[in-house]
Amino acid sequence: MTPASAPIPSTTWAARLAPRRWLGPVVLLAPAGVWLLLLLVLPTLLILEISLVPGLRLGQPSGGYGLGNYLQILQPVYLRVIGRSLAFAVGSTLLCLVLGFPVAYWLALLSPRRWRNLLLVGFILPLWTSSLLRAYAWTTILRPSGVFNTMLTTLGLPAQNWLNTPTAVFIGLTYSFLPYMVLILYASLEKLDTRLLEAAADLGATPRQSFWKITVPQTLPGIAAASLLVFISTLSDFVVPTLLGGASSMNISRLIYNQFLGPTRAWGFGSALSMVLILAVSLAIALLLRYGDRNTVTEA
Amino acid sequence: MAGLAATNCRQNLSGPSAGGGGGDDGALHIYTWANYTDDGLADAFTERTGIPVVVDIFDSNEIMLTRMQAGGGDAYSILYPSDYMVSEMLELNLLTELDQSRITGLENLKAQWANPAYDPNNAHSIPFCWGTTGLLYNREVSPGEPIDWDFLWENQDALSRRITMLDDMRETLGATLKSLGYSYNSSNPAEIEAAYNRLLELQPHIAAFKTTGFENELLGGDLSVSMAYSSDAIALTLEDDRMEYIIPDSGASLWTDTLAIPATAPNVDAAYQWINFLLEPETASAAVERLYFATANQAAFERLPADIQNNQDLYPPEEVLAKSEGIVAVDADSTDLFDQFWTEVTSA
Repeated sequence: MTPASAPIPSTTWAARLAPRRWLGPVVLLAPAGVWLLLLLVLPTLLILEISLVPGLRLGQPSGGYGLGNYLQILQPVYLRVIGRSLAFAVGSTLLCLVLGFPVAYWLALLSPRRWRNLLLVGFILPLWTSSLLRAYAWTTILRPSGVFNTMLTTLGLPAQNWLNTPTAVFIGLTYSFLPYMVLILYASLEKLDTRLLEAAADLGATPRQSFWKITVPQTLPGIAAASLLVFISTLSDFVVPTLLGGASSMNISRLIYNQFLGPTRAWGFGSALSMVLILAVSLAIALLLRYGDRNTVTEA
Repeated sequence: MAGLAATNCRQNLSGPSAGGGGGDDGALHIYTWANYTDDGLADAFTERTGIPVVVDIFDSNEIMLTRMQAGGGDAYSILYPSDYMVSEMLELNLLTELDQSRITGLENLKAQWANPAYDPNNAHSIPFCWGTTGLLYNREVSPGEPIDWDFLWENQDALSRRITMLDDMRETLGATLKSLGYSYNSSNPAEIEAAYNRLLELQPHIAAFKTTGFENELLGGDLSVSMAYSSDAIALTLEDDRMEYIIPDSGASLWTDTLAIPATAPNVDAAYQWINFLLEPETASAAVERLYFATANQAAFERLPADIQNNQDLYPPEEVLAKSEGIVAVDADSTDLFDQFWTEVTSA
């Protein structure tokens, strides 16, 4: 009897497999599941535990559990830091939207079709370099004797000392995250049904009316997705505020860093700050899943 | 192995390479400040003992301490903690008590380090080098020649966002205390608060709190004055004529960096050999001629060329040293106050 001609009764197979139907998904999900459990869930729980030990400093005795670290966050100085982080995030998200929407609109609807992919690649190109490197490049551009001021003075304009100010942070964050905004908006605008625009024009709508009544509502999920993604990334950014903001721009990530590697070494308080940041980002992700156009995010 | 180590760039700046248990590979793993060891020093040691040397770099005592506490205790055989950090690590039982019978050349040290306050009788640490913390400025762009810390406050408008201060709580708040006529180690809440208010007044004019990375902007004229450790500053003054380093008139901090062996160190034999190697006058003076740190080794100092011996930035005259202070650990309440005010100033 050759193997090829051996018919296996299907009923036997089914009987053998039935109790193990659950095995397939488990085998497929186990590697990633274990990975996430070990490297995401457990560390987060550990941070949560440490955050509940008030006044915990590494190497020093600590007493019991409590909410002291969270109450400490309510002090004006820390609320100011959180407010500044939110301002950086909201401000640079709006800047990205204002700068990114026209670009995405042009790329998706107006640019010559044969160049479209190349133009898009041009926009993604900066993402291929390290964000640290790009932030360093901006310090060279923005410093008083830098490229930007050389241009201003050549044009007869007054020089600006923007390095180490919040202005530099807004510029750096907007530059860093603009490509994400453009990519997601592009994916959303590309799917816009242009026949609706034609119909609106036929029925006498002005371009402005059809933009606000058709284009924007149709791409709103994409706008929400792109804005939330940029918001999440800018809220917790460390590199740009540190390198471009100097003494003017302590934000929550820098504050957390200082609690662990700075002179105070307050691990408990740093963990509480981390939990607040994790919560804020989770909230934004929940909003993203609820209101954002998930397809555009994954496509981009 | 030795050949491989010699061709590698030893100064691993990207991050500590000696992971958990990495010290068991027969090599001597050293955790130190930038510019305290170079290939010349490491190669000479390897040639003598056959032990390869691997150097990792930290840029603050606190980062080093955190790494030692967070499970890195067995990664290094030699550490270079500063004075106040030696005291702190002693309290945490992180350092080995040195077996004095295994150390040769202690008599070469300058007399002032025979019994330092931070580690009585050098029981756990060997003074390696010392220095001051002062002001480094670019003569071409500075609005004048600073002679004291006051310079920063008096010229705050001309210097606006052209100043960097050290990202070092005790040094920067301490210098402010000193500018008010108080001690670096004040534990008087009113004095500490006065220093906080004074530093807060300067804060909008400070470009950044930086311990490293201000050099290029200072050379390029984008910064005018940087608070700096003498060990970093002097290399720049020798490199570029426009750079000047001063020890402020009202006094500076006087620091000592030491050699110590972690309590859980691997390869302790090699660690002792490294300490003895650096205590040799020939080794120490050759290293100083390349790296420009102020050696705590009197016998090595005497071997130095006259121009280095007479460099007053490196070896300030006695009357300057007399006005300066070492930073020592303060009581818990004052530490809390320093922490709180430092956070307020850096977050303002």
